[in-house]
Amino acid sequence: MSDPILSLKNVTLGYDRHPAVHHLSADFARGSLTALIGPNGAGKSTLLKAVAGALTPLSGALQCGPQVRIAYLPQSAALDRSFPISLFDLVAAGLWHRSGAFGGLSRKDRDAVHDAFARVGLQGFEKRTLDALSGGQLQRALFARLILQDADLILLDEPLAAIDTKTSADLLAMIHDWHEQGRTILAVLHDMQIVREHFPQSLLLARELVAYGPTQNVLTNAHLAQARQMIEAFDEEAHICALGDAS
Amino acid sequence: MFKRFALTLALICASTYGQAQSKMETIASMSIIADFVRQIGGERVNVTTLVAAGGDAHTFQPAPQDARRVAQAKLVFINGLGLEGWLPRLVQSSGSKARIITVSQGVQAIRDTSDADGHSHAHDLDPHAWQNVANAKIYIRNIAQALSAADAEGAPTYAARADAYLAELDRLDADIRAGLATIPPERRRIITSHDAFGYFAKAYGMNFIAPQGVSTEAEASSRDVARIIRQIRAEKIPAVFLENISDPRLMVQIARETGAKMGAPLFSDSLSPESGPAPTYLAMMRNNLKAFLDALR
Amino acid sequence: MIFDALIAPFFEFEFMRRALVGCVALSLAAGPVGTFLMLRRMSLFGDAMAHAILPGAALGYLAFGLSLSAMTMGGLITGLLVVILAGLVTRTTNLREDASIAGFYLISLAIGVSLVSLKGSNIDLLRVLFGSILALDDAAMMLLVAMSSVTLLILSLIFRPFVLECVDPSFLRSVSRAGGPAHLIFLALVVTTLVSGFNALGTLLSVGMMMLPAIAARFWAVELTGIIFSATLIGLIASLSGLILSYHTGLPSGPAIILVAGGLYLLSLIFGPRGGLILKFLPRRHLEA
Repeated sequence: MSDPILSLKNVTLGYDRHPAVHHLSADFARGSLTALIGPNGAGKSTLLKAVAGALTPLSGALQCGPQVRIAYLPQSAALDRSFPISLFDLVAAGLWHRSGAFGGLSRKDRDAVHDAFARVGLQGFEKRTLDALSGGQLQRALFARLILQDADLILLDEPLAAIDTKTSADLLAMIHDWHEQGRTILAVLHDMQIVREHFPQSLLLARELVAYGPTQNVLTNAHLAQARQMIEAFDEEAHICALGDAS
Repeated sequence: MFKRFALTLALICASTYGQAQSKMETIASMSIIADFVRQIGGERVNVTTLVAAGGDAHTFQPAPQDARRVAQAKLVFINGLGLEGWLPRLVQSSGSKARIITVSQGVQAIRDTSDADGHSHAHDLDPHAWQNVANAKIYIRNIAQALSAADAEGAPTYAARADAYLAELDRLDADIRAGLATIPPERRRIITSHDAFGYFAKAYGMNFIAPQGVSTEAEASSRDVARIIRQIRAEKIPAVFLENISDPRLMVQIARETGAKMGAPLFSDSLSPESGPAPTYLAMMRNNLKAFLDALR
Repeated sequence: MIFDALIAPFFEFEFMRRALVGCVALSLAAGPVGTFLMLRRMSLFGDAMAHAILPGAALGYLAFGLSLSAMTMGGLITGLLVVILAGLVTRTTNLREDASIAGFYLISLAIGVSLVSLKGSNIDLLRVLFGSILALDDAAMMLLVAMSSVTLLILSLIFRPFVLECVDPSFLRSVSRAGGPAHLIFLALVVTTLVSGFNALGTLLSVGMMMLPAIAARFWAVELTGIIFSATLIGLIASLSGLILSYHTGLPSGPAIILVAGGLYLLSLIFGPRGGLILKFLPRRHLEA
């Protein structure tokens, strides 16, 4: 990899001085489509947060290429869905890089927001509040926000969790579109079937790097068993979650 | 080690015994009564005040040390007329054997006429009887009698001091009448935030109007304030007075809105600290008289 | 007739006009601030603050007497101190924000009560410290109007990052560092609004005007701006009708305003078009699918 868009060098991440990810080194090529997999408690979300800039590494270096714009999709469970803002306002936050904290939306911006609604199949939902949406509809809206963010590096934390199959297919199609547009995508996923079918690269994490490379080389029974053991050894309290059972 | 401890203990016992012998321990519920007891008791009596100068006897909350003091006292002087609702419980809970003397015994009580609606609560008596000097004289006689009964040896002293003080009260009474006589009756109208002056009004021909009820616990309504402002305007009431225990901001507002004169602070329920303008009953009454005259002249 | 009952008092009496100005200023700031407090599940924060500022206000009073600026400064300092300490504890330990605020406000209250009783007098200091709506002097009115304007201005500045911080904090962190500061600035606004309200108008009125209209507004609008607008409107209605109610019935004015606000809340709860009780138990066929 001559010019990685994202480069992790011996990165250790954690909260309150309790490391969640140890000494991770990996490079991500520009335009790559990578699934981030691992048992519960493996540190996948923590890693995405750190790349998104929401968490400072305890040690090591996390380098992005110059002028790389990052878009981050948090787990939808992290949203306060009872907070009464309209879907329009939530999606329009994707234009933050243009409007900043204080700027208003131009007519062109508003049109862009409406286009994004159309792209994800949510026309007419602009005035809905978050509590009036299904999980799938909310995830579509968050994808519309990603569209507006127009980012080079897209980080998705469980984008397909708890949604219907139709939405799942639509969102996967969108991920492929982004891939074809040359954007780099890093997604936390649980469904091994989807990973095998749609993601050329995989990174298997169990607080440490287990395996990284072409998906068929990473998703071997030996690697998965190793990851499971590492998590159990790390922490007796961690959920004992069979990696394959989501598929 | 033990020797020294025992010695210290003995010394402490001896000293408290000595004190107890030389002075009679008494309690006064409020600073004005404490002043009376001091005037009559002189060197023979030690007085502790429960509601300190500047405090409000209506809403007083006793502390444990107050209960301890009451337990040690021989006599407890209270005003009565419903002022110290909290005191019987305090005396009982302290296990005190003290005699409780109601110094207002024999006073001709007046009803609380403060309620602006006119339908005043029939049983509520106005406790501020000391604002009439004639009542203060009754207080003095009651106190002298109680002290003599408890300490027969000191009876002649108490009688002599009471006579001297009663003479002073007569002079005070005459001065108040003479002073107010210089004000035309139609100008003897005053607004004050806490109508403790019912007895004063009756005795000396003054008219006091209050924005609040007789207790300082009530909060004013805009209707009451509006009524007072109208009254001040209509009757051209010349002066508005603050007290040492009420929210002065309301008075300032009324004075500003009506153009009435703001009087100097009045003392009605409690004396000022030693350094203030009203450390004794006599000083308090003369302070108030001067404040009235200054504002009304 | 209606003019006599509703308008005339304000023409006749300056104190009524002042009370109205004070209430309006408070409502304008308290509506939006209270809405956010409610939505952040911090509805009891105002009560906590009413206690937390006691030591500062008491120190201000003991040192400078009945000076509005001294007591306001004292209250502000202790209020902000409690918020900042609680914020630090929340960020560095497992304690949740409500628990750490409870811890610090109780300490603050205890210090305040001790200070008050150290004075050795039992003047009802709370009543001296906290103002009365009927006795707004120029300084108190200026304080309220200035506080209200500054609060609205700052709130509009931090509005967008703060809303995102409420809804989707991890997303906000990925695009901006404004989230943490926005939350702290908001808490500071709550403290300034409450403290100036306490000193000018009293605790019940300030906390009540902050929370009751916001809670009632939840039954009238589904979207944030609509809720804020409704809360402000309900606050204004309660101010005006409460003052007039007090004027005609002789109820104390502060409680009268809060009673009206409380009444509006109960009415909203029953008849409100957004989740009110009556609609909830009506057959659902009239509602959209």
